[in-house]
Amino acid sequence: MTSLDLLLILSGLTTLAGFAFGNHRAYPWLAGIVLTAQIVILASMPLPMAAGFGFEMFGHPVGWQMDGFGRFFALITLGAALASVAYTGGEWGERYAAGGKNLRWLHGALAGNVLAMLLLLASGDLIAFFIGWELTSWAGFLLMAQGGERALRAAMRYVPYAMAGAMAVLGGLVLSLTWTGTLDLSQLVMLVPGLANWKLALLLALFGTGFAIKMGLLPVHLWQTPAYAEAPGAATAFLGAISSRMGLFGFGLLLVKLITLTRLADLSFIDGLFSARDLIEWVAALTIVLPTFTALKQNDARYLLAWHGIGQSGYMLLGLVIGDATGSAGGLLHVFNHATYQAALVLSVFAVMHRTGTADLNSMGGLVTRMPLTFLVMLLGIIGLAGLPPMNGFVSKWLIYRSLMIEGRPLLFLMTVLGTLGTILSVYKLIHNTFLGQLRAEHEQIREAPWSMLVPMLALVALAFVTGVAPGLALNYVNEAQAALGLPVMAHTLGGVESPRGSLDMLWIVGVLFAGFGIGALLFYGAGGRSKRIHQLDNYAGGHFLSADVRYQYSDHFYAGLMHRIGPLYRGSFTQMEAALASANDLLASLMQAWYRQAVPALTLLIATVLGLAWMIWR
Amino acid sequence: MNHSVLALVPALPLLASFLLPLVPGAARRLVGPLTLLAVAFIGLNLWPLVQTEPMVLAVGDFAPPLGITFYADSVSALFVIAVALVTLVLWPWSGSDAGNLDRKQSLTLILAGACGGLAVSGDLFNVYVFYELAAVASFGLAAGARTAAAQIATFRYVVIGSLCSLLALLGITLIYVQTGTVNLAHLAQLAPLKLHNPLGLAAFFMILLGLGVKAELFLVNTWAPDVYATAEARVSGLLAGLVSKLALLAVVRLLVLIFPLPEARDALLLLGMLGILSGEFAAFRARDVKRMLAWSSIAQLGAAFVAFAIPGPAGLAAGLAVALHHLLVKPALFLLADRWGGSLAQITGAARNSPVSAGLFVLFILSMLGVPPLPGFWAKYLLLSGLAAQPEGLWWLAGAIILLTTVVEAVYLFRVIGALYGRDHTVTPKTQSATAVIGSGVFAAVLLAVAFSAPLLALPLNRMAVQMADSAAYIARVLPPVLPGVAP
Repeated sequence: MTSLDLLLILSGLTTLAGFAFGNHRAYPWLAGIVLTAQIVILASMPLPMAAGFGFEMFGHPVGWQMDGFGRFFALITLGAALASVAYTGGEWGERYAAGGKNLRWLHGALAGNVLAMLLLLASGDLIAFFIGWELTSWAGFLLMAQGGERALRAAMRYVPYAMAGAMAVLGGLVLSLTWTGTLDLSQLVMLVPGLANWKLALLLALFGTGFAIKMGLLPVHLWQTPAYAEAPGAATAFLGAISSRMGLFGFGLLLVKLITLTRLADLSFIDGLFSARDLIEWVAALTIVLPTFTALKQNDARYLLAWHGIGQSGYMLLGLVIGDATGSAGGLLHVFNHATYQAALVLSVFAVMHRTGTADLNSMGGLVTRMPLTFLVMLLGIIGLAGLPPMNGFVSKWLIYRSLMIEGRPLLFLMTVLGTLGTILSVYKLIHNTFLGQLRAEHEQIREAPWSMLVPMLALVALAFVTGVAPGLALNYVNEAQAALGLPVMAHTLGGVESPRGSLDMLWIVGVLFAGFGIGALLFYGAGGRSKRIHQLDNYAGGHFLSADVRYQYSDHFYAGLMHRIGPLYRGSFTQMEAALASANDLLASLMQAWYRQAVPALTLLIATVLGLAWMIWR
Repeated sequence: MNHSVLALVPALPLLASFLLPLVPGAARRLVGPLTLLAVAFIGLNLWPLVQTEPMVLAVGDFAPPLGITFYADSVSALFVIAVALVTLVLWPWSGSDAGNLDRKQSLTLILAGACGGLAVSGDLFNVYVFYELAAVASFGLAAGARTAAAQIATFRYVVIGSLCSLLALLGITLIYVQTGTVNLAHLAQLAPLKLHNPLGLAAFFMILLGLGVKAELFLVNTWAPDVYATAEARVSGLLAGLVSKLALLAVVRLLVLIFPLPEARDALLLLGMLGILSGEFAAFRARDVKRMLAWSSIAQLGAAFVAFAIPGPAGLAAGLAVALHHLLVKPALFLLADRWGGSLAQITGAARNSPVSAGLFVLFILSMLGVPPLPGFWAKYLLLSGLAAQPEGLWWLAGAIILLTTVVEAVYLFRVIGALYGRDHTVTPKTQSATAVIGSGVFAAVLLAVAFSAPLLALPLNRMAVQMADSAAYIARVLPPVLPGVAP
């Protein structure tokens, strides 16, 4: 038995255990231990590691093998699952179960997602890949559907997207087989780049559609926000952290390994002016900008974060497709970084929900005095999401910016900056409307979130901070993934990048940053440290002094001035497109039903027979 | 094993059905199941024998092409087993009164006999006779629910069915006039000379429409949604699961042996594609579970037609996989839809009362959608890779249609899942009957067994397809070269 077998068996057992006794008090501990063991096994396994099992189907071997690219994603998957299980383990899970919901299904589905993703990430051929792909989709559906009525509706909306993606991937699989005669990834890597342009374009369209849907790329992103936001807390964190990245994993295999980036650039549309590679870069860039500005308009904290999840995936794909050592390292590193702070942010929002019962950004405020640690988590989380030092989000975004500039993509660079601007605006809205300003009267008795929820949240932001200061810790695995994909490997140090094309040392940056804080503090306290402490309700807004008798929290229509300018640009075109497709479908369906409701089938039969005979005779 | 057992496959159930009312007392209820077990036993014994060498029976020792010929290769043997066992699982154990029950059991036995006959028939005449027998039995069974809606639906079925039977008979007559024989092997021999012309093709088209009625072929399938929605669940299961496959098998024999022509394949391909499109889209708007299953079954049969249109063993393997998979899934779904028929709103939250049945329902749905590693995926895989291996054009269009309509299929099938697991405190859905749970449980067990042993089953499937595709061997087996004047 190889260590990959052990890993998958442990994952399978966790799934069974989750469905069997996920409601038991001991399950989170057990699952936590097993997940930790899996992380250790995975991190220490020599690569590539083949599974000891497999089978042959219609003459094609089906097997599993983990390489550095898969391991990178698998480690994040296991880590996200660990945080989610720990979060669910205490008070949150108890209240979930007390609300009449089924913890066994939640834990089972969560563990099932991990198993499905591990199977996907370790696939050695396209059949194994497709098995993992489908299992991931439907395990994801199961997890999304756990959150009650609205969640079920959101999950239902995911169904056509998921199935369309799966069928597109299946189509790509079948065509790959037809054109190369093999399904084995190691052989496809050699054969696919040699295919004719139109074949490559078709493969790109089919596989690309499938992966884009999973990732939530424009214009097939609409399913993701409600499906992720409405899931129960721990599930939302897990889904937001890693689930949709399986699409990026697919893109990595497809664009870099199978088609290769050079062939991708050959596939040009308008006389070499615009290549498939440009197309993907621009889709990624638009995916950064548009969903980020949609996030800005959200009034539900969960939806806001879910929209950002879509936007951030654009950075990852962009970095990967730029394809130089720096850019691809940035794109891949962003997967890990985003997982850490996004999970922390989602969990903090659910911690607030746990206490206040709401995620509505218009009905909170001032909670910082009541939930200071949760505030700290959200603060560090949004610093990461906005891509500012000292958190890890800065490092990956810096690498991507750097690569865009070096590789000569100034317009794309502008897009990423625009996206970051939108991110900063909207995360400020998030933390302001939740934690700052006046406390609402009904929230005066609110307590800090329980430790069972705080510990995973704090651990996640600690990780995001540590890997922000010392990105070299994560870059080791990124390098491994780059090597497995055949990309140039970015040389790195513990603190960042050491390269003639631009260096980054986070140890220095963070040192300077904190030294700055230190100097500021010295100056402040040296000057006597004069400060005046005022009550939280003693406030000032819009030219009026606010006091305890006039409760006021500025949150509704938060960016009124900005929205006055850019508001008309929100047209809901994608939603309209989705609705148009749905009604076209409905129209076709009623036409088809009319055929079966025809009044005189005998006449139709006569006509059909005559026509059929005519066709047989004269063709 | 004596070759004459082949005759027992149709003869035993037919005999039993006529003798059934004469058997006294409690033993009467055992006649049917025992007969079916005997047929299954014959099929199981036949299976190993026909793997290498198909079995031929010339009834009354009139050497072919004279007389009646029965022919069994491994596909026939498999279908004989399937006919017996599926009928057994869908057996009518109870009825409103004794007379009613006798009628149902007799008709079901006739249906089983006719289906067995279709599986082993070696000549066009017998195909027609058994097909008519199956038609009569299914008319009776479909009207057996004794509701006005069922009778109206059956009337429509009778009208379309009889017209198409006439068409089939006309086609067979044309062939007989052209060749002077109805023996399939003999026809296969003569076809290149006498039937590969517009007249032969016209005959094929008429037979295709004629036999297509039961195979839910587009153009002649407008009866299916109403009949399946109003008939008893087991009857719908039998018609959609079993009878359709045997009709399909008869068409495919003709295609392989007599009309291996691009025009004939195109007809199958086109009508199959239209079946898929019309079925899936009509099901999309269906608000009644049984009707939804009926339309989905039309689409699945369409996919089977498309698969069988693919030339060579690859097409037969794909077609067999699609057909056999549907044979496993659809009867079970109809069984479960017996209590869960009607509108979706009425079954909201049914998973709470009947978790096992709901789980089974989901399992069948996932397999039908082709979610790996369930068998439906392998069937779809074979079908799509078979289509992709053909030159572009209609074949690829068919592949694209299958991929696209699966999305539509997923939406309406997940609607059922959503209803089963949803919450609505105003409705109390019915709990499942024990027979439905046991019956569909049997199908689910087989489905899972197939899923787990799929790598082992790929080889026999392929062997069956190769054997079925080999028309030269068929001719040589039925018409040995000892006959003067007839070359193998």
